[in-house]
Amino acid sequence: MALKFTWRIWILIFVLVLSLLSIFGIPSFQKGVIIKSVDTNSTAFEQGLRAGQIITSIDGKKITNIGDFSSSLENKYNFNESVKIIIHTKDSEIILFSKIPPEIIVSEIQKTNIKMGLDLAGGSRALVQAQDKKLTSSEVNDLVDVISNRLNVYGIADLNIRPVSDLSGNNFMLIEIAGATPKDLEELISKQGKFEAKIGNETVFIGGEKDITSVCRNDATCAGIVSCQVSGNSEFCNFRFTIYLSEEAANKHAEITGNLDVNATNPEYLSEKLDLYLDDKLVDSLFISKGLKGRVTTQIAISGSGSGQTRAEAYDAAEESMHKLQTVLITGSLPYKLEIAKLDTISPILGDQFIKNIFLAGFLALLAVVLIIFFRYKKIKSSLALLLTSVSEIVIILGIASLIEWNLDLPSIAGILATIGTGIDQQIIILDEAKQTAFLSIKQKLKRAFAIILGAYFTAVVALLPLLWAGAGLLKGFAVTTIIGITTGILITRPAFTDMVKKIEED
Amino acid sequence: MEEQGKSEKRTFESFHNKYYKLFLLIPLCLIVFSLLYMGMFYSKNNDFIYKDVSLTGGTSATIYGKINTENLEQELSNKLDDVGFREVYDVVTREQKAVIIETKSDIETTKQVLEEYLGYELDGENSSFEFTGSVLSENFYNQLLIAILIAFVFMGVVVFIIFRTFIPSAAVIISAFADILMTLTLVNMLGMKMSSAGIVAFLMLIGYSVDTDILLTNRILKRREWSLNQRIFGAFKTGITMTLTSLLAIVFALLVVKSFSVVLTQIFTILVIGLCFDIFNTWVTNVSILKGYMEKKHGT
Repeated sequence: MALKFTWRIWILIFVLVLSLLSIFGIPSFQKGVIIKSVDTNSTAFEQGLRAGQIITSIDGKKITNIGDFSSSLENKYNFNESVKIIIHTKDSEIILFSKIPPEIIVSEIQKTNIKMGLDLAGGSRALVQAQDKKLTSSEVNDLVDVISNRLNVYGIADLNIRPVSDLSGNNFMLIEIAGATPKDLEELISKQGKFEAKIGNETVFIGGEKDITSVCRNDATCAGIVSCQVSGNSEFCNFRFTIYLSEEAANKHAEITGNLDVNATNPEYLSEKLDLYLDDKLVDSLFISKGLKGRVTTQIAISGSGSGQTRAEAYDAAEESMHKLQTVLITGSLPYKLEIAKLDTISPILGDQFIKNIFLAGFLALLAVVLIIFFRYKKIKSSLALLLTSVSEIVIILGIASLIEWNLDLPSIAGILATIGTGIDQQIIILDEAKQTAFLSIKQKLKRAFAIILGAYFTAVVALLPLLWAGAGLLKGFAVTTIIGITTGILITRPAFTDMVKKIEED
Repeated sequence: MEEQGKSEKRTFESFHNKYYKLFLLIPLCLIVFSLLYMGMFYSKNNDFIYKDVSLTGGTSATIYGKINTENLEQELSNKLDDVGFREVYDVVTREQKAVIIETKSDIETTKQVLEEYLGYELDGENSSFEFTGSVLSENFYNQLLIAILIAFVFMGVVVFIIFRTFIPSAAVIISAFADILMTLTLVNMLGMKMSSAGIVAFLMLIGYSVDTDILLTNRILKRREWSLNQRIFGAFKTGITMTLTSLLAIVFALLVVKSFSVVLTQIFTILVIGLCFDIFNTWVTNVSILKGYMEKKHGT
């Protein structure tokens, strides 16, 4: 066969090359591990480590994969004392002194630009709506702002949060977090986070920037665990941190305390306590020292405790409640109660194996197709052309998916399979039309084939459209990949295949 | 050989010419049976399908590792609502990889009960949890039904636009409808619990089943060469190759995905059933209606 390609085949080759570029990028030969996220409350963050940086060496040892990374941290933080660690990224050197390993999540540098959806790569996804209330789209937008602020303050970086709506006009907030699922995600996104400080029945101040100008965090001089003690069978640890009130809130505090008497049994303090409520639940009651009576003070210490079976557990629990309290004090409360409509937390460990299995399944399926085609047509060239076209179709779909940064999830993979199936069907139509012993020229025959294929194409596209909106778009992946796939088929691969068949028939 | 083949073909041709209208009785009976079955099914269950937790609301937990499932169900059944489980195996080694537990209970309860049973904490590494609230799943289900309905109507409209004649277009739509109806009936008879992915499979089925019908109708309405029967037979050869390739490819893939993905297994199983019915509905139902229409129109 003379290797003279028609322009349609050239287009296919051109698009294929572009797709491969889009999938694999320009080879970078970079070695190291990439930082997926950095806890914003950590020294690592303060020293300038950020998501997206590539760690090339630690303490002078080259890091080329996750194994290197974890072995370089192993046995380093066993003794409860500060350890020095030198981290080299691609263009900087960062030195950390800390008792604990750097609070970062790393992963190996992606070899491709294909993005895996949560259900394959692991992560968590939540669909949130208001309790007993239909949210308007502007309310959802506000909600998205508050919650993303809250999650950022809490230190979750690799985050995608957006409003979605479904066919019947319900609005939801969709939160997607890649990688490991943060503990207490449920609480962070669904708790209203209504913080109130009350003296008696009167509210002194509430969470949010109106009343609270700043909250001390990550600074051992004004925030931290202050003491631990045993009580009965369990351990308790107490935390304390300082907050700064706005002038208005401070005045209110002065006004209310001004009316209080000194406590009869405990004359160091005033008669009423400052009660801290979180979502209407009493968190702690603080004695107010008598020196504060009627004074305008903007600086207030907030305290609370955590408990556990062991000292370490209690310590962690206290730290966590401190963290949560700080988060709501900073971000304020939500105007309504929320409800988690859907919550998926997917472990990342099966992802790789899943992909391998999918490839195995795909390979077997293609093998089956080639066998039937060869058996039916007994022509190696046509069978090969069909196989090549189908494979290039997969490559082009993946290329477009990487280009538009589409997350390939399970429905998307089902969509790719559907596309290949219909693609092969259409190629069979082309082969058979070309083979027909009619009086027509090969060109006319193939034109007829296209009439059938176009019909099939349009019915498929319209059948997929409703899925783009149904069910808050959670099955959108199926429709999107299928539409990309079959459209590519009609515009690029099918015309090229037609030309290949023409060539083969003419030979 | 050749001669014999030809005479067999001719015998079949005259047989088909004589009886093809009677053939229509088979799909008709099946459709009536399916409708009756679905009617009874609906009045009994107040629904068209058996739903799994992704559509009724509830939790699906996947716990990785080798888990002893011997008395899992007994242990859990009095603490969790409507509990069921499935094991996941490695494709090659047949080693147990994970257990999937489905229940109508919420995520917190499920997690707690499972942790008690297993004796260790479940985190993002050793387990996956999927929870759908009952209000959302109800909503979700209704919308997927609407999506299928709209998809079907759109498909019908496009078919009418393509062929612009009533009976042939209606024949395509009837066979697509019969495909879905019969598949649905069999899926219910098998007692399959459908997930949202399963409903997507029905959408795929609309696409797949219409393909061969369009091929057939196009060849018969828009071609002038050869006799009607030759055109039908030509379309059959192409169409059956299409469906058989799809079918075999899916069966091969099914063997692999069966061990590791519940979602894909369900999609593929429904497609296999649907494609089998599609062979029947395209080459019996649709052909018979179309042949009758052509013969009446051309007075032969």
